[in-house]
Parts: sequence; C-alpha cells; structure tokens
Amino acid sequence: MIKSIYISLFVFILICLVSIQTKSLEDSYVLKSNKSEFIAGEHVQLEFGYNTDSDVMLYCSNSYGSILLDPEISAKILKFNIPDSISKKSGVLNWKLIAKTNNLQGSINVKPKPSIKSLESYLGPPSIEAGGTDYTMLVVIPTDDLDNPMADSTKVQIKHQFLNNEISDTVSTLHGFTYKTINSYKESGRILISSECLDLNSKEYDVNVMPAIPTNFTIKAERIHNYADGNQITTFKTSQIIDRFNNVVSDGTFVTFFITDQNGNKTQTYGSTINGIATAKMLHPDHEEQWSVKAYIEGMANSETITLGFKQAISNFEAALSDDNRTITVGPLQSFMKQRVPDGLFITLSIYKNKVLVNEIQEQSYNGMANFYLSEDEYSNGSYHLEIETAGLSKTLTNITYE
Amino acid sequence: MNSKSKNILRGVILLIYLLIMALVIYGIAAIFSYLNTGADRSSMLHTEIKQVEQYLPKFNWEPINNEGRPIDEQTLNSIENDYLDAWYVKHIAYKTNSIVGIDDYYTESARLNIFNIIDVNTKNRVSIDGITLSHSPNLEFFSEDGQMVVLTDNNVIEYKRIFKGEQLISEVNEISTYKVTLLLEDGFWRIRHLVKINSEFYNPETISKPLGISTIKGTNYYPQDTPWNMFGDDFNRSIIAQDFKLINSSGLNSIRIFVPYEDFGKSRVKTEKLEKLIEVLDLAEQNNLKVLITLFDFYGDYSVIDWSLTQFHATTVINSIKNHKALLGWDIKNEPNLDFESRGKSLVLAWLDKMIDHVKSLDPNHPVTIGWSNTKSASLLNEKLDFISFHYYEDLANLPELYTSIKTKIKTKPIIITEYGLSSYNGFWNPFGDSDKDQANYHNNIQTIFEANDIQFMSWTLYDFTEIPKEVVGRLPWRKNAQKHFGFIDKNGAKKASFAYISSSKE
Repeated sequence: MIKSIYISLFVFILICLVSIQTKSLEDSYVLKSNKSEFIAGEHVQLEFGYNTDSDVMLYCSNSYGSILLDPEISAKILKFNIPDSISKKSGVLNWKLIAKTNNLQGSINVKPKPSIKSLESYLGPPSIEAGGTDYTMLVVIPTDDLDNPMADSTKVQIKHQFLNNEISDTVSTLHGFTYKTINSYKESGRILISSECLDLNSKEYDVNVMPAIPTNFTIKAERIHNYADGNQITTFKTSQIIDRFNNVVSDGTFVTFFITDQNGNKTQTYGSTINGIATAKMLHPDHEEQWSVKAYIEGMANSETITLGFKQAISNFEAALSDDNRTITVGPLQSFMKQRVPDGLFITLSIYKNKVLVNEIQEQSYNGMANFYLSEDEYSNGSYHLEIETAGLSKTLTNITYE
Repeated sequence: MNSKSKNILRGVILLIYLLIMALVIYGIAAIFSYLNTGADRSSMLHTEIKQVEQYLPKFNWEPINNEGRPIDEQTLNSIENDYLDAWYVKHIAYKTNSIVGIDDYYTESARLNIFNIIDVNTKNRVSIDGITLSHSPNLEFFSEDGQMVVLTDNNVIEYKRIFKGEQLISEVNEISTYKVTLLLEDGFWRIRHLVKINSEFYNPETISKPLGISTIKGTNYYPQDTPWNMFGDDFNRSIIAQDFKLINSSGLNSIRIFVPYEDFGKSRVKTEKLEKLIEVLDLAEQNNLKVLITLFDFYGDYSVIDWSLTQFHATTVINSIKNHKALLGWDIKNEPNLDFESRGKSLVLAWLDKMIDHVKSLDPNHPVTIGWSNTKSASLLNEKLDFISFHYYEDLANLPELYTSIKTKIKTKPIIITEYGLSSYNGFWNPFGDSDKDQANYHNNIQTIFEANDIQFMSWTLYDFTEIPKEVVGRLPWRKNAQKHFGFIDKNGAKKASFAYISSSKE
C-alpha cells in the first residue's frame, strides 16, 4: 500500500518535473529583472535568461517615442541597457522582446524625482480691475531636474501681498500642475505674488489692480470773461473722477465734452484724465450764445449738463461806401470796452440783384476793419442790395446802383 | 564694277542692315518684356490658403467641463489642429529621423526629448513608421490668460512599424493615455510636457457577424455607358432603375458596386457623390437587391501616415449608409493582393487589418470581407472577416477542388466567389479568343459547379462595355478589348447566349 503511494508520488513528481522542464523549454526567454518601478534618472536595465536563440531585440517606448535595442549577451543572459535619455522621462515605459518565438512584453513605471529643480510659473492676466470680482491666476508647474512634472499631490504655497495683507495659500498639484486664482481688493494698486514648493521659491511676480469703471462726475467751465468775442478760450474741467470704490480712475481715461448751442448744433472737444481730472478747451463764439455742455466717458459714465451764456461783445458797427460805391468799408468794429476787436473776426457780405443772391464774400477783420471791393467786371450796371453780417449783427445797404 | 552690280551690293547691304536692326530691336524687346514679367500682383499678399489635410485620426473631445477659464470653440479648434499636427510632425520625424517641423509644435525643452530619441534611433539605424488612429482627449484646464491648457488624451491607439535599416522588425499596436501640457507660443499651441500615464499592447477583438441573406446570387454592376465612373456627371437614375429591375427579374438577389477613393474626394468625401450612392441603394431596395459595397477602389498608397485619411474617408461613407436596408456588407478593397508586390505584403495586410477593425467599429451590424483576386490569397486575414470572398478567372476544372480546400481550411465562414466570368472577345487582337457560345458554355458549366458545391456567387459582369478607362487594365488594346466583352448583354443591349446562365436554375 505504502509502496504504491510512494510510487505514485514519485510518478507525480516526475510528471511535474517533466512539465516544468517542457514549459521552460517553450518559454525560452525569462525576465530576470523584476523591478518595475524606477525613479527618473535611475539606470534601467532589463535582463532576460535564454536557452538557445540570442538573436532578439527589445522594443521600448517612453512618453515621447520608441526605440529598438540590441542586447548585450553574457552567459545565458541578455542585457538591455535602456539609454538614459529614454529612462529619464517620467511615465510608462513599455517594452516588448522581439524574438522568433513568444514575445515577452511588459512595462516599467518611471516616476519623477522627488526633488524639485524649477518652478515654472505663468501669471495672467497682468492687470485686473479693483472691486473683488476680477481675478488673476498663477499657474505653477514644478519640475524636477530632468524636466519631468512633479508627482501629483505635491504641495505648493502660493503667496501674495497687497497693502497690509500677506496671504499664503497651499494647493496641491494635479495633472502635473497647480493653480490659484487671486481676486482683486477694493483698492487699486499692485499685488505681489510668489510661490514656493519643497523649499524652492519662485521670483516675484506682480499684477496691477486697475481702478474699476468710473462713476458719474461733475464738470465746470472756466473763462476770463463771458463775452462772445470769438477770441478767448473756455476751459472745461471735470471733477476728480473715481470708481465706485473711491479709486481715482486711471490716467488717460478719455472724456468727451459735447457742446450744444441754441440752434441745436453740436460741437465736441476732448480731454484725458490726469489724476482723475480731464480738461478740454473751446474757443468762445463770436455772437451771443447759450451753450449746454455735457461730458461722457463713453459707455461708462457721464456728467450733468451745465449751461454757459455768452454776452454780445460788439453792439454795433459802421459800413461805408466809397469809390463809386464799389468799395465797402466795415468798421471800426468795437468790442465790449470799445476796444477794436482782435484780428480774425469774420465779416460776411451778401450781394443781391433783383432779390437773387449773386455772391457771398467773407473777410476777416484786421485792426478792427474790413474792406470789400466789388469790381466792375463782375458787377455790371444795375441796382444791388448788400447785406453785411458779423458777430450776429447785420446791416443792409439797399439800392446801390452802378453805372 | 558696273553700276548695276553696285546697286545690287548696296541693296544687299541695306537689307542686311535692316535685318540686323530688326534682330537687335527684337532682342531688346524680348529682354524688356522678360524683365517686366514676374509674380502676379495678387500673390504679393499671400492671401491664398494652401491647407492640405494630412492627419485626421478619430478625434472626439470628451464633454467639455474644464477648470479655469471657459473655453471657446475657436480656441478648442486651434488646440485640436496644433495638437494633431504635433503628432504628425513627430511621426514624420521618427520615420525619417529628421527634425523638420518639431520646433513649431514642441517647446524648447520638450523637443530635446524627441531629438534624443532620434539620436538613439539614428545610431542604431532604426526608423519607426507610426500613426495614431484615435484620440479621446479630455480638457482638464485652460488658464485664465488663455496661454496654457492641460488635457488628458485617453485611449490613444498607436500603430508602429519598426524598421532596422530596410528590414521590418516588428509591428506594435498600443493603447495609451497621455497627460499633455500645451503652451501658446508664437501663435502655436506647443507641447510642453507629455507624460504617458498608461499604456498597453492592444489587440482589439473582432466580433463575427453572419451574412444578412442566406444565399448570395449576384453580379458586379456598372451602368453600360459609365463603367468605372458610376457616380460621375452622367449618373442616370432611370438607367440604373431599369438595370436593377432586369437583374432582379433574371433571378439574382444582389449586386456588388465600387466606391472609388479619389473620385469620392479622398478624405473629404463629396456630398454629391454620397447622395448618388444613397440613390443607388434606394433603387436597389426598391428592386429587392442587396448591395455589397466595395470601398477604396483605385486606392494604392497604404503608407502608414496616410491611414488616418483613409479611415476618415471610410467613416464618412459608412456612417452615411450603414443603416440602409439594401446594404449587404462591406468589401474593404477590391483585389488588394495585387498590390503586395509593389507596396509590400505586410504593409497592405496591416492596412487591411486596421481597416477591418475600423469598419467594424463604425458598423457592427454588417459583415465585412475582402475581394481577393485569387484562391491563393483567399484565406488571408480570414479570422477577422465575416465571410470570405475571392475572384476566379482560372480553369473551371480546378474550381471544385480549390473551393473545397479553402472550405476545409475555413470551416465556419461563408465563402463566396464575388467575381468570375469569361470574355467573349475574338477579334483583331485575339483572333482565337472565346466566342459568345464559349462564354455561354462557361457560365453553364460554372453554374453546374456552383450547384454541385453549393457556392454563392457574383458574376463579372452584366454588360459589355465600349470604353475601358486606362486605370483598370492599362492601355494595351488586347487587354482593353478583352475587358469590354465580359458581359451577359452586348454593347447593343441584346442578351448574349450566356444570359440564360446568369443565375442558378434552382430557386
């Protein structure tokens, strides 16, 4: 009985051995190296045991591409040295033994180094609006010295300073990077930002916090007198324009002043702010006028309307005929203190014949005077009717006849 | 010297002088007009768009749900274009071991990794001809300043052919997932980091699909006046309708037609062509005919980098007709084994193999075959095909034996002869060719063999043709003329003697 058990046991063992033997004969390549996790930069060597055929190659593929390697052969061992330029990149490293029979295959996981080399930071947008809703974003990619992104869950401190606040937030990497959004404060100014990871500190970044959009403002006009002399200049000024958090708007904010006269004609003048105040200028009218002025920062804010009256500066004028009525002398034109008007006041002469406008001639005053000459060639014999207009006044000379 | 001859001399000198002056003036004029020609002014601004589509793998964004700034359609498109171009230039770089284009799509530090691999491969005389066939990227993050994105490209299917010198060492098929960081630099989305987080060797399973009809009795079909140009300007619905009626009434239940790759617009399939194809299928349905669609007619490139374009073509064609009731199945390509010699057997087979997977992934409901040109190739790739088809133009005496030998090799799948026939041409180029009577005999005999061995068939072809394009059999007149006379109906529309044997007698 026992004998038969021994015999059967022996036979069993024999069968097992034979089966193992045949298996290893079929399976003629065996992976000897069993390490499947490496740190980037470590030397990776794959070793295979073989029986007969050493004419094999190893296909190997990392994150960026694939290579084919020939073995180093020594005493029934095939050694493949993965080049460092391949094994230094983190990620899965696939390999496949290319042999005539059974292709062994597998993969190695290459982890990034635990030590940091650089903090690649991207900050943007570079300027944001005050008020707490707008924000900027700092993106940080910590990498090891082989330019692999650090493993996920690496902690990064993102620090920023604004006025009296110094704040540090801790975030962890995912997908090889991490980011933090930094909201603006009520005040305008500059936020300084930096990051720190594994005791490596980044350089200093800054973000400008610009004032928010302007609020409504007031305007005033400054002038040396209120006569419509067509010569002096009125200066418009805004109040200091601020946003809703009392920040003075950025220099260069563009303000447009719309001037509407009594007849509804519109004129504009422009100015940019300096320290919140914009100024713009406009020449006085040459006749009695009433201006309504309103300023706009287009699409954002505006002022109330102010009105501005201009008194008539020239109360009356003389027009004399001479030289067979062909020369018309206008003047002297006298302003509010009886002084002669400054040069350049426009005088218009309209010439009618049989109630039909024949011509209109414009001259500018010089030393308070202006001359018109109606030549014989142009204005032949007949009866004319002349109308002279200046500074909102007009004078008519009727039944002027030429012979 | 007398005055007469003096005058003659003067005249000659004057003429010579005039001639020389004319030549000089002509020469100056020619130089002047040459200097005045140049580039067309309109080309000064380079306004023309010369975009060639070169890389179109399957690319589907996962639902957009990214962190950071919300992304807009235009940015997403430009990321997609540049990311795919990055893969494209990388494939070209590894195939040729050169670095052309890499600078545009990889940042300064990322491109070093590619250069390193090129160095290793150049040293070992290794080149890698690869392509990716599918991408399913998930947008993880878009930075607030719009200068950086991070995406996870899931299940990238990569196919590589690895060469050492000229010799093909191995083919590798992998499915991998990549984490990709891209930066916007100089208007390009450039890859900054690429980390393969997962990768496996990939062997997709193919699911077998039985034939939709029990017994195929059919013919290859081209309209008589437009052979090999069925979907051109002369497309005529009523002629096709008449032909289909005739085919159906002669006892056949199916036809085999061809979708030419270039004529259909290569990667960008023309809608007007597709509309005509659908019309043909509609007509077939009305006449109770099933249609075997042969894709990629006249395609012959096969190069790995071209695969994404051919797959894109297949996607468009298949998606637009895969639910049509008249569809019998897909013949991937007509007689691809004829390209083995010029393009390499392994390359053609690899293309077919991937195309079978692709077609099956698009349309799991219709069977797939390849129309091999002879019995020798008939068993290639049989494990992936749903039914086997081959063409038979050889001696009828050997057919039963050859068929049986294939049948014993491939037991489980239907085997169909999708082309056979005999030309009844006997004229100037082949005075001893077969007559109409011989052709009728041939068809009578082959039908007997079909019945005896229970073989399903599709004949070549319904009509005699008057014009054969040179792409079909070349320019040689004896080949062209033979090809004109394979029909059951002659060029005048009369049924030839063989028409009696167009289908099997038994129903």
